[in-house]
This record gives sequence, C-alpha cells and structure tokens, in this order.
Amino acid sequence: MKWLRTTALTAALAFGSVTTAATADEIKIGLLQDFTAVYTFLTGEYNQGQQDYLTLINEEGGIDGNTFTAIVRDTGNQPQRGIEAYNRAKEEGAVLFDFLSTPVSAAILDQADADKRVVITPVHGRGDASDGTVFPYIFPMMATYWAQAANLIEFMKTNEGGLEGKKIAIVHIDSPFGKEPLPILDALAAQEKFEYKAFPYASPGNEQSAAWSEVRRYQPDFVMIWGAGGGQAVSVKTAIQNGIKPEQIHSVIWLAETDAANVGPMMKGVKRFEATASGLDHPIIQRIQEKVITPGKGAGDAKNVGTSYYNLGVATMAVSVEAARLGLEGGGPLDGDKLKAGFEKIAGYDAEGLMPAITITAEDHQGGGAGRVSEWDGEKWAPVSDWHAAYPELIRKTIEDSAAKYKEGH
Amino acid sequence: MFYRLSGVYQTNYAADRKLWKIPADRWQVIAVLVLALMAPLYVSPLYLGSYVLPWVIWSAAALSLTLLMGMAGQLHFGFAAVMAIGAYSSIHLVRAGIPFEIALILSGVVSAVIGTLFGGAALRVKGLYLVMATLAMQYLVDWVVVNVPWISGGAHATLRTPAVNFLVMPIDSLAARYWLALGWAVLITLFFLNVKRTSFGRALVAIRDKDFAAAVIGVDPFRTKLAAFFTSSFLGGVTGAILAFCYYRAVTPEQFGFNVSIQLVAMVLVGGLGSVIGSYLGAGFVLLAPIFLTNAISSLAAAGWVPVSQNFLSHLPLIIYGAMIIGFLLFEPLGLAKIYDNIRKYFLVWPFRHAKS
Repeated sequence: MKWLRTTALTAALAFGSVTTAATADEIKIGLLQDFTAVYTFLTGEYNQGQQDYLTLINEEGGIDGNTFTAIVRDTGNQPQRGIEAYNRAKEEGAVLFDFLSTPVSAAILDQADADKRVVITPVHGRGDASDGTVFPYIFPMMATYWAQAANLIEFMKTNEGGLEGKKIAIVHIDSPFGKEPLPILDALAAQEKFEYKAFPYASPGNEQSAAWSEVRRYQPDFVMIWGAGGGQAVSVKTAIQNGIKPEQIHSVIWLAETDAANVGPMMKGVKRFEATASGLDHPIIQRIQEKVITPGKGAGDAKNVGTSYYNLGVATMAVSVEAARLGLEGGGPLDGDKLKAGFEKIAGYDAEGLMPAITITAEDHQGGGAGRVSEWDGEKWAPVSDWHAAYPELIRKTIEDSAAKYKEGH
Repeated sequence: MFYRLSGVYQTNYAADRKLWKIPADRWQVIAVLVLALMAPLYVSPLYLGSYVLPWVIWSAAALSLTLLMGMAGQLHFGFAAVMAIGAYSSIHLVRAGIPFEIALILSGVVSAVIGTLFGGAALRVKGLYLVMATLAMQYLVDWVVVNVPWISGGAHATLRTPAVNFLVMPIDSLAARYWLALGWAVLITLFFLNVKRTSFGRALVAIRDKDFAAAVIGVDPFRTKLAAFFTSSFLGGVTGAILAFCYYRAVTPEQFGFNVSIQLVAMVLVGGLGSVIGSYLGAGFVLLAPIFLTNAISSLAAAGWVPVSQNFLSHLPLIIYGAMIIGFLLFEPLGLAKIYDNIRKYFLVWPFRHAKS
C-alpha cells in the first residue's frame, strides 16, 4: 500500500500548491495539426517550436502562475478527423486552436465562431479572416499570403531596379493556395506598370519541367514561386536548369533550410518572404536553449532549434501567450472572449525582436501584415530588407472585399 | 438458443420473401434502429457530432459505392468526385432558390448524368483499365472544381451551405442534421436490400459474374452497366449533398480529393464487397479506427508510456492501423461482414457446432 500513500501524498501536494496560487489555472491550447499527410514538411519543426515555447513559459513560472498545456493531435489533413479533434479538445477546455491545415480550418471556422473559441491561422489560411468584424474569433496575426505577395513585389520595385515595363513570371501549384497571390498581382500590375504571367504546375509538384520551359520562353525579369513542401526544391532546381538565375527567384514563405539542403550549392541567392527571423541569435531562442533544450525538456530533435519553421512556431505561441497575458489582466479564468480581447489589445509586440512589431485591433486581425525578404547565402537565410508592411491599403481593401463576399455566404 | 431455431426453414412464400427471415434478426434490426433514432437523446454532442454522424453518412456513401463495386462488379476509384458533384450542385441549386428537398434529388441527377458519362468507359474496358478511367474522372472533376471559380466559390474556394429546411425541420441543430443523415442512410439501406431481389439486381449480379454470359441469357450489358453507374452515382451524389449540408457545412475541393476515393474503396473492401452490414462496419472501421488509435496513443504518451518523438508518435497509429487492415484481410478475406456472419452463424445454433446457412 506504499504506492497508494505516495500517490495520495503527491496529489495532496499538487492540490495544495494549486490552492496557494489562488487564481492559477491551466490554459489549454489545441495544436491539432497534420503530422502525417500534406503539411509534414513544416509541422514537425513548427509544432516543436510551439511546444518548446510553452515549456519555456511554464519553466519561467507561467503567467501570474497560470501554466500552459498543449493538446497535440494528428489530423492527417482530413476534415472529419479535425472536427473530432476540435470537439474533443473543446470538451477538455482548450481555448485556442491552431490547425495548420486549410481544409480542416475551413470546416471549423464557423463552428469556432459559434463556440467562441480562438483559432489562429498564422501565415496560412484565409486572408480575409483578417477582417475581425466578419471573423471575430479568427486571428491570422501574421502576414497573409496577399501581404506576402505584395511584400515581394515591393522588394523588386525598391531593391532590384524598379518594375516599370518588367516581366514577372509566377509559377504556382495548381490549387486554391497557389492562386492566392494572383488578385494582388492583377492590382499591382496596373498600378506599377509591369506585366505578369501565371504558370501553374500540377499538385504535388514533383515534376514541373513543362511549366518551366514555358517560363524560359517568356523571358521574365523576375520569378515568383508559390508552392509548398517538396515541390519548392523542385521549382528552384528546374528554374535554374532553365536558365533562370537564383537571384531572380522570389518565394512565398514556404522555403526553408531543408529545401536549401535538397537543392544544394546552386541555391545561393534565392530570396523568400519571411515573417519571423531564423537562427539562434534571439533572446527568446537563447532562453529556450538554456531552460528547455539543455535540461532535456525539448519536444523534439535539438538540431531543429533555430530553423525557420521552428522560430515561426515559437513566434505564434509568443503572440498567443502575450494575448493570454493581456486577456488575463481583467482577472481569470481565461475563456474565448477574454483571449479574443487580449489579442485585440496587442500593440507593438515583436517577441523580443524575433518578428516585426504587430498591432492587432478589433478590425485588423492580421496585425499589420509586415514581413521582410531574406536571401540564402549558402549557409543561412540572411535578411536583405527591413521589417515593413507593403501596400497596406491595397491589402486591406482586398481583405474587406473578400470578407464581405464571405458574409454574403460565399 | 439465442435465435430460438435450428436453421432457416420457411413454410410459405411470404415468410421466404421477408427481408429478415429470422425473428431474432428482425428484433435486432428494430432495436438498432430505435437506438439510432434516439441517439441524440443519450449520446453526448462530442460523440454524436464527431463519430456517429460522419459514420452514418460515410456508411451511406459506402453503400452507394458497393452497389457498383460489390453488386455490379464495376471498379470505381473516383467516387469522391461523384460526391463532390452532388455537394456542389446541391449548394448552387439551393442558392438559386430551389427548395432543399428538390435540390437534393436534382444534385443526385447531376451526379448520375456525369457519373454515367464516365461510366461509359465501362462498356469498353474492365478491371484495372476501368480503374484508370474512373481515376481520370477524379482528376478531371478536381481540376474543374479548382479552376472554375463559379463552381468552387472564388476566394479561398470555400462554399458555405445556406440555411435550409427539410420539409418542416430546419437543418441547423446537430440532432436535426443527424436525423436527416440517418433517414437517408436508412433509405439507401432499404433500397439496397430490396434491389438484390429485383430483376435489375439480378442483372447486376449476372454482369458482375460474367458479362458475356449475362448477354447470352438475355441481360443487356450496355443498359445494365450504364444503369449501374447511374443508380450508384445518383445515390453518391445525394450522399455528397447530405455530407455537405449535415456535416461539413462548408465545402472545399480538398474534402473530395483522391485520398477520399481511396478511403471509400477501402471501406467497401474492408467491410466486405456487396454487403450492407459490411458497408456500415467498413465505414466505421476506416473512419473511426484512426481516430480511436490516435487518441489512445496520445493519452498513453501523455501518461509517459510511449517515450518517442512527436513525429513518430503521430505515425504510430497509422502503422497499427495498416497492420490491422492486413490482419483483418488475412484473417477473413471476405471482410468484416464475413466476420460478423461467422459470429452470427455460431450463435444461430449455439450450443451446437454446425450451422446451415
């Protein structure tokens, strides 16, 4: 019966410590993501960053004694599994969700609004969810795909010799995600007097030579690549085989260290959009190294720490924890409404320099949409522009138009 | 003892024509039906909305497919595309102002017409070649849905289902959505059980077993094959519409991708080709086993029993799931329906050993 006494004692101690902290609570976050199907190129590192950041906050004593618990489940990118995982986590008391999957998010958006649970869709998902008046509980909270496209275009304009009379080829995966930047390019082509042409390739993009030989004939000045996962390395390789210089290639956010390793030395000079800084040289990442990784409490392989997607995951949780902190200012326990209010109070938060300063309001759930361009220098992604938001009025107008259509039922 | 008889011995034609010939079977079916109807009263919203409701709808989908694959013997690897056509047509029809009940039937007709068009390939090719033709349908429909904004709904390609009434019942609460889906599943089940004993059903079976032999005895393969595709696609289209309105309520192209077609084929095969109970068991297995396994392994991991990386942890349920499918098929190649049948036959004559079926 010794074990029984030990258990009872531990339980008593645990409960005792809870009662002494008075309002201390366990804040549950549902990280119900796709570890096994389509988003695998990203989920491992991203989720590891999220879990490690939550561990760091708990190690540092939580927020006023409130600790964070991650509910991690694989949804395999299947909506029905996502719905099950969401409903279950909701019963367990989760107040914040990150699905990192377009079909799963689409199937849950309305339900989450009805249930008053916060869903974050950082750098992915519907751009128009940035309109807080139509999507009250959805927070893209970082640059949407539209803002990313605008940022790359502005970089070409200001840093690479202007756009007037230039030709841009956009080579994209043939899916709703791949077509995302096209309306922005339509608007900007008229405004900045350049021409562009879209070259789709079939999903998943293991073979793109047909698209790229047409790009070669088009003789573009700049090339944008818009895909994700294994197809991205294929894009870069096939582009270079077709005489495109690496310096001409500009990518959506989904291009990281792994892709650079797959492409090899010829990757040097390729540029991409980034919403968070990569590398280890940031105060938060340093603290994670010291308090989470070194004591062996990390959620995964220590060599992933500091990769682009790991840092992205850390940043998403940094913003969420900041929102929880602001939401708890009026007293706990934290629920969906308080968390939403917390998000909308975030002003000028930059996760100690890991990301651009974001300000989220009740109308703007994107937080400004800032980002920057970085270049692969052979070893790491080196920033070549400063954090800033490109064409904010145009992006806002696109968001509002699309959100208005959604409101009508589309 | 349990079934109160020693075999199946009818003494008149009426008894022989009954759907469930043994009273005990009949009582079981009635009990299951009553339990299913009352489910919203005693099943928690979590289990009703995430387990029972999708199970009922996917069973209806598996039944629609098994009519074609199990009864008529025509392989179809693009059935998710058939459902997609039904889902998208129903939403656009309701938006155009057509009452929901009629939109359901019309969406079935649209699916049936397009499905039959591709089914026409079955007139010339069989087996693996027919698989290729239906795969082509899957990819063509996918491509059209993604590339025609008028169908997919423009930005982000998400279409929300409008609020609708079915007869007088508003389809918004979970219970209402469940009852509508259950009603459709029951209807398909009754249709399937009855079609087996019509001349059309017997023609399908004849075509499955040998199409030129069927032609010799007077079954027109041309008409029968097209009718098989038409019927199955009609049922699949309406099921797609039910799936959209009762379960997802927001439709995106990814919900009807190639992997969904494969899942449907798996449901039909694991359950047992051409079997009603098999469609229910197969759909339940393919749909719910991964969820149960993921939850079980995650809670084991949370208790510290599985000290492996998150990545491996996520793949572990898939490994077990794969092993289970192979295990079931090795143990009983005729599927879960046959396992059920074996158990039933055992209890039919228990405590004696051998049953006459």
